[in-house]
Amino acid sequence: MILVNNRDKVEWREGMTVQDVLDAMGYDYALITVTIEGTFVPEHDYETCTVPDGSKVGLFHLAHGG
Amino acid sequence: MANGKINITINGIEATVQKGSYLLQALRDNGVAVPTLCHHKDLTPSGTCRLCVGEVEQRGKKKLVTSCNFPVRGEIAVDTESERVETHRRVLAEMYLGRWPNVPLIQEVAAICGATDKEKYRSELTDENPKACILCTHCVRACDEFIQERILDFAGRGIKRHLTMPFGEVDPHCIGCTSCAYVCPTGAIEVVDDMNHPVDPQMIRDFGMRINAEMAMLDKDQCRMREVGTANIVDVMDAYDLLPVHNYKFGSHENTKNIDSKILKARYYTQDHPDGCWKGCSMACAKAVDGFELRTGPYKGDRVVVDGPEYETAAAGANMGCFDADFIIEWNFYCDTYGIDTISFGTCMAFVMEAFEAGVITTEHTGGKELKFGATGAVMECMHEIAVGEGFGVEVGQGIRYLKEKWIRELGADADFLQDIGMEVKGLEYSEYVCKESLAQQAGYTMAVKGPQHDEAWLIFMDMVNNQIPTFEDKARALYYYPLWRTWFGLHGLCKLIWNDIVPLSNKNYEPQVAAKVPDHVEDFFRFYEGMTGEPLDEEGMLAQSARVHNLQRVMTRMLGYGLRKDDMPPYRAVGPVTAEEYESRAERYNKQLEELAGFDTKGKSTEEKMKAIREYRMDQYNRVVDAAYDKRGWTRNGVPKIERLKELGIDLPRLVEIIKDDQE
Ligand code: SF4
Ligand code: SF4
Ligand code: FES
Repeated sequence: MILVNNRDKVEWREGMTVQDVLDAMGYDYALITVTIEGTFVPEHDYETCTVPDGSKVGLFHLAHGG
Repeated sequence: MANGKINITINGIEATVQKGSYLLQALRDNGVAVPTLCHHKDLTPSGTCRLCVGEVEQRGKKKLVTSCNFPVRGEIAVDTESERVETHRRVLAEMYLGRWPNVPLIQEVAAICGATDKEKYRSELTDENPKACILCTHCVRACDEFIQERILDFAGRGIKRHLTMPFGEVDPHCIGCTSCAYVCPTGAIEVVDDMNHPVDPQMIRDFGMRINAEMAMLDKDQCRMREVGTANIVDVMDAYDLLPVHNYKFGSHENTKNIDSKILKARYYTQDHPDGCWKGCSMACAKAVDGFELRTGPYKGDRVVVDGPEYETAAAGANMGCFDADFIIEWNFYCDTYGIDTISFGTCMAFVMEAFEAGVITTEHTGGKELKFGATGAVMECMHEIAVGEGFGVEVGQGIRYLKEKWIRELGADADFLQDIGMEVKGLEYSEYVCKESLAQQAGYTMAVKGPQHDEAWLIFMDMVNNQIPTFEDKARALYYYPLWRTWFGLHGLCKLIWNDIVPLSNKNYEPQVAAKVPDHVEDFFRFYEGMTGEPLDEEGMLAQSARVHNLQRVMTRMLGYGLRKDDMPPYRAVGPVTAEEYESRAERYNKQLEELAGFDTKGKSTEEKMKAIREYRMDQYNRVVDAAYDKRGWTRNGVPKIERLKELGIDLPRLVEIIKDDQE
């Protein structure tokens, strides 16, 4: 199980990447900052960076519009 | 290799570089100095000066390439110190030196390339001016890429090539942004007029250009302001269940695809240039629809230019259930033409539609109009009635607060129901965001001095999606900082969009709480202030300036008979589900919240019982946020600034104290 933004639970599976977590949450927003256990993950690593089971993942959307 | 890296050899030494990056960058990243004239970090490479050459060996073949525009795709060996490279550079540099002997940049580059002879290539073309134009094309590219204009270009061929505006005249399309002057390495383009007489125009330009360069490079991957303007968030809001649908009952709809940014771009938008609303800004958020044929009203049959639609206008369409782009654009045009705000009108009409569907009013009251959700024709009729001052439209034009009172008084309508669904606070209609799932946003809307205006709408993501401000104290802190920040830059005539709709790449290096503030852009805004006034500013100074105004505004609302807690109370629709239909549509979410957060056992309970429980829970939460926010702001429990707070801010003038003294605890 992965905990997103200290609230939402996502089922973990072997080899799960940051991109998989984003997809599972349905997040396709342009201005997202990703952290795993507080460590920042750069965008070009989303496809390759794997997320360990039990991780706390931060998917932070920057506000825009209006 | 992983992550798109590739191995190359630079002057005999192995190096790893990002695949697809330009060779010049790879060389510089590996500590190799390369002379350049036409390269600029914020502009796409042009490969015109040919000073940056390197000798590249690939599959046994050697050739000279300009490194600034040579993408590294395969495993290559590059030599920047070979005889061939050095001769090439030196000869070129001698030619540049012969033509522009006194330009400091040329002298510098010539020295690096070992060219010392100023006389060798001296000719009738030689220009002794130290600020001569060296044809580097920076300015042409800046105008094109930052401003999306081609005001400047070269005319003539070969030795006659020179820089000019079209037909040698000053082009009226030049927005005076000074990007060209900024990137000019020689000073050939000079800024002769600094309007408003800033203390330090260079400082303003330096920081402004940083923003322009970011827009040119990052917008296409971030908010696509240049492409679709603020309408880019129609799609986003729908995806996150935040787009108001049917008077804020729901947050998304299957027909949003008929009015989203994709359709607006594909079928309608024409303008993609800056409209000059803010001199020098190159964001180009304003969009227009050209040649639109009107179907109703006094201009029926005319082809017109429509300014918009922006996000809020398109979203107001969804709020009225009118998922029809032709309607939205026509309605946008007439709102502008009649001087009517699309947000207030759209939200008010959505309320009228819900009241109509609920039977509060009938065709008897609307002059025969079937004002159901989605009734585009009836909306346009009301609109034209406002303009001519007759019919039901005149009543709609007076807003939700007026209608609620009238219907309760004259029709005996259910006051609680109308209060719950009438989306206004302080008499102003809500802007177009569903805030049910964000407590901070609920309070951001209601506590805004001017009412729930779209200015205050950006806490939704921080709160609801990111869960970044989970405690009441966190929310109170956000409700302190962000409205003050917004008040501050609004007072200084600065725009929100350049603050956080394009964010610098470096923003990803900050931890999320800090990143949300976009610290580098806050810094830019402080520099604009300093460049203009000569006085440095930091966060503390900004908050102090802003809090004075903010508290003054709050005291003034008190003077006008508002400014108490009761004036900061939302209609329940802004907080939770008013109707069973709404509850059922998101039942999973509400049930879960009741079970997990409110400690309420939902098993065997009717929808009505659950609705009552969630209402109690949510209103309690709302009141707690307001308490925390008042406290943080130095206001009483009743929402009035404390006299000590005015003292602290140095605005405890007797006239102000007089207004609030009876409201102190
Ligand atoms: S001031 Fe701006 S718009 Fe005008 S020519 Fe220079 S870059 Fe182009
Ligand atoms: S005016 Fe300046 S920026 Fe433009 S081509 Fe000449 S030297 Fe380069
Ligand atoms: S810097 Fe590469 S050609 Fe000018």
